Amino acid sequence: MKKILVACASGVASSQTAASKIEKLLKERKIKAELIVGDMKSLEREIKYCDVYVTLTPYSKKDYGVPVISGIPFLTGVGIEKAFEELAGILTK
Amino acid sequence: MAKTDIMDLLDENLILFHVAANDSTELLNKLSDVLIGRGYVKDTFARKLIEREKKYPTGLPTAGVQVAIPHTDSGQVLRGCILIATLEHPVAFKEMGNGVNDVNVQVVFMLAVNDPNSQIGLLKELMGIMLEESVIRSILEADDPATVVELLSSKMQG
Repeated sequence: MKKILVACASGVASSQTAASKIEKLLKERKIKAELIVGDMKSLEREIKYCDVYVTLTPYSKKDYGVPVISGIPFLTGVGIEKAFEELAGILTK
Repeated sequence: MAKTDIMDLLDENLILFHVAANDSTELLNKLSDVLIGRGYVKDTFARKLIEREKKYPTGLPTAGVQVAIPHTDSGQVLRGCILIATLEHPVAFKEMGNGVNDVNVQVVFMLAVNDPNSQIGLLKELMGIMLEESVIRSILEADDPATVVELLSSKMQG
């Protein structure tokens, strides 16, 4: 099963809220994936086990070797379909 | 799901209307003072909050009325709460996840979490509701705290 890492600065407010929206959309589309929610420390630790990184902090230039998607649409709802299609594309590849 | 009580995180004294500030730092100081005065956070909260906002901005380009969700690490928080403030004039925050674009914020949800494990369920549920376009608009148009609490409670049950 593919893994999604959702991370923000503290690993609490934004990442949890975005992750719960992603979880709901995955269920609706019957896509199975594991969601890992964390902060910047868990990003460094977990990213190597993940297939995609949903970010809520300003993009770092660091290359984690996985696709990076902005998590903001999952908070605001603006552009959420497009963002989810991109995520779904990576998960079902 | 067990019935959660949103009053665990909301307090009518922390729902403020038409707060005026010239910039985000002045605004965050003002709002922090309310939390400090009511014993929700430590005296160092404002400084930490402003530092974090610079590094990890929290403006959200929501549809319609735009918001910011400033917060900082749980070590600064004595009692978990969410402060809600509508602004007299829009205040520019940098956009979360981007740090470059300006977001013209009209409603602020300041999050103070002291026990992430127990508060996260309620927090993310409330956040999901508070970020709905129609809810933000209703908060902006409200003029008493009870209306806001009622609106959020009814949405939580629905």
